[in-house]
Amino acid sequence: MDFATLASQFFIGLSRGMIFFIVAAGLTLIFGVLRITNFAHGALYMLGAFIAYSVSTLFGQGPYGFWLALLVAPIAVMLVSLVIERGLLRFIYNRNHLIQMLLTYSLVLIAGDLVKIIWGTEYKSMDIPGVLRGSFNLWGASLPWYNAFLLIVGPIVALGLWLFLSKTHLGKICRATATDREMVDVLGINSTRVFAMVFALGGWLAGLGGALIAPTTTISMGMDASIIIYAFLIVVIGGLGNIWGALISSIIMGVGEAFGILFIPSIAIIIPYMIAGVLLIVRPSGLLKSAW
Amino acid sequence: MVRMVGKKKSLNLIRLGSLLLITALVASGCGSSPNESKDTKTELKPTKVGIVDTYTGGAAVYAKDSLDGFKLAVKEIADKGGPKIEFVTRDDEFKPDKSTSWAKELVMREQVDFLAGTTNSAGSLAVSQYAKESKVPFIVWGGMSDKITGAAGHRYVFSTLPNTAIIGKAGAVQLSKTTHQKIWLAGSDYEYGHSVINNLWSNLTTIKPGVEKMGESWWRVGETDFTPYINAIRSAKPDILVVGTGGADMVAFMKAVKATGLIQELPVWAHTSYDPATLRPLGDQAPEGVMGTNPYLHNYPDTADNKAFVEAFKKEYNREPAAFALYGYMGGKFLGAAIEKAGSNDKEKIIDAMEGLSIDTPVGKATLRKEDHQVAIPMSYGVVAKVEGVFTAKDLHTLSPEDIMPSVDAILKARAK
Repeated sequence: MDFATLASQFFIGLSRGMIFFIVAAGLTLIFGVLRITNFAHGALYMLGAFIAYSVSTLFGQGPYGFWLALLVAPIAVMLVSLVIERGLLRFIYNRNHLIQMLLTYSLVLIAGDLVKIIWGTEYKSMDIPGVLRGSFNLWGASLPWYNAFLLIVGPIVALGLWLFLSKTHLGKICRATATDREMVDVLGINSTRVFAMVFALGGWLAGLGGALIAPTTTISMGMDASIIIYAFLIVVIGGLGNIWGALISSIIMGVGEAFGILFIPSIAIIIPYMIAGVLLIVRPSGLLKSAW
Repeated sequence: MVRMVGKKKSLNLIRLGSLLLITALVASGCGSSPNESKDTKTELKPTKVGIVDTYTGGAAVYAKDSLDGFKLAVKEIADKGGPKIEFVTRDDEFKPDKSTSWAKELVMREQVDFLAGTTNSAGSLAVSQYAKESKVPFIVWGGMSDKITGAAGHRYVFSTLPNTAIIGKAGAVQLSKTTHQKIWLAGSDYEYGHSVINNLWSNLTTIKPGVEKMGESWWRVGETDFTPYINAIRSAKPDILVVGTGGADMVAFMKAVKATGLIQELPVWAHTSYDPATLRPLGDQAPEGVMGTNPYLHNYPDTADNKAFVEAFKKEYNREPAAFALYGYMGGKFLGAAIEKAGSNDKEKIIDAMEGLSIDTPVGKATLRKEDHQVAIPMSYGVVAKVEGVFTAKDLHTLSPEDIMPSVDAILKARAK
């Protein structure tokens, strides 16, 4: 095993972790502020991928299609999330967790059928834009340009979230709501508006994750089920509701899985669960402080 | 108090369970002796086929094709004044338990004479078991597991598509014609993936004893990012990568092969690599040079029979037929020919007529092998290539059924176990 292989595998794992982070950040944010287990988060991610496909196809899979899709898909998913929050979720904030889970789970089923009705059952695929195609040489090993692109987008999103949460007034209210919801209400802040905004932001992140993964894979029904498992594992490992915990555990998960695939490829399928198991034995309440 | 409630509940459950069991037993007892037909050679009753298949979800694209192929066969048989075939369909949603319950419903309530369908291999095996118990013949045109007509085969199950044993052997023959020695095996971590790869590997080691297995990678079904797998395999520097993966994963894998530039460094083999279902979604991102096997293409074999089939299918459904359309079509044709040959509605006589039956199909002469009820058709192999601006296959060769069918001895040995 030479250095180049290890290095390229590390960067590939890191870029895998970036997708995990973008999706899991939305989930953990909703966890932290709304205290809702949003099973439909994976469905929003799938919706993001399908919308990205449609936008890109509208432009003949041309060079602008991808960039426009990257802009439009997350916003479209954000609007859908807003409708879900205002239309359904806000009525069940005071109900118990089981009801909330049932509602979000029913959204998963609805989204699955909706996708089938709108886009049909055939496998869809979207092109990687010309400038990001192919791969470049990294100390003798090769790294696809698209993975490098993800390595840039991931930190930008993380930085943006950090700026929003720690530097803006709204972000501070979000953090306060996550820490002590009653106190925020007592201070006269309209917390339902905060809830709507956070859920929309979470949806935007899910849609962005879907739009980013779309060019690299098959866009098909069932892609929601495969991401939601990772997202939940990451959120639990990182500490429920803690964005930085999600960032750290996404990176551990992505890089850990990549090295697992390199060293024990025949049982790669169990690696995420091994990582989650070990980390939860070491730190049962998550890597960082949980918001719950 | 709590315990008593629990007991009462479980007692109720037992009562309900036994009631259901009795109903099921009574019903299945009735189902196995429906209208025995008298031997009226002049006027045959229509034969009713109950089709259980996956009409919703990710595999619906295959079930739609096979159903349309079957419908075309039924129409053609009727146009020629052959036996009348009626059918009903049920959607199993890719769930094996639903396949069996629909199969039972079709036999008991709809009183079908034949069962057919099941893209899900586990569903095929489950329905096959029921077919054996109820003595209602079952034509598989969807499930690819080699167990269906292999280890778990019996008198009442037939298969009109090449199974994983045949695919694996065809792949082994193709690879034995190359010089590659060090081989990396990979695939989806489920029945289909393991079955194709195991069959290929055991055949390859027999045909070409010098080959060496360098390692194996197995990914989960629904994997979205293949770059870490490809990077790891590339670093091991094998001579060739052999892949068994299906459906949506196949498209994603091929995309990653192109994006990582793997094909420039390392030859790759995958079943259905040049199938339209794989290439169409890929657009211009199909990796040229990936080797593969495929039983059928609308333009291969380039014969009058195939052209006529494609023409008829296009006229009826306004699209080109893919491999599964052929499988459903053959299922219908075999059934029609067998009823005609038997000259009777008696299921046992139709089975006897079906055993060893040969018919002309778009891919040439096809035979339902007498010993294991597995269809024998040729298989093609080739590489993905851009021909006149369209991605398809080139360097196509045909393997005859004799080259790729598992031996009857091996089948009987597996069944005896």
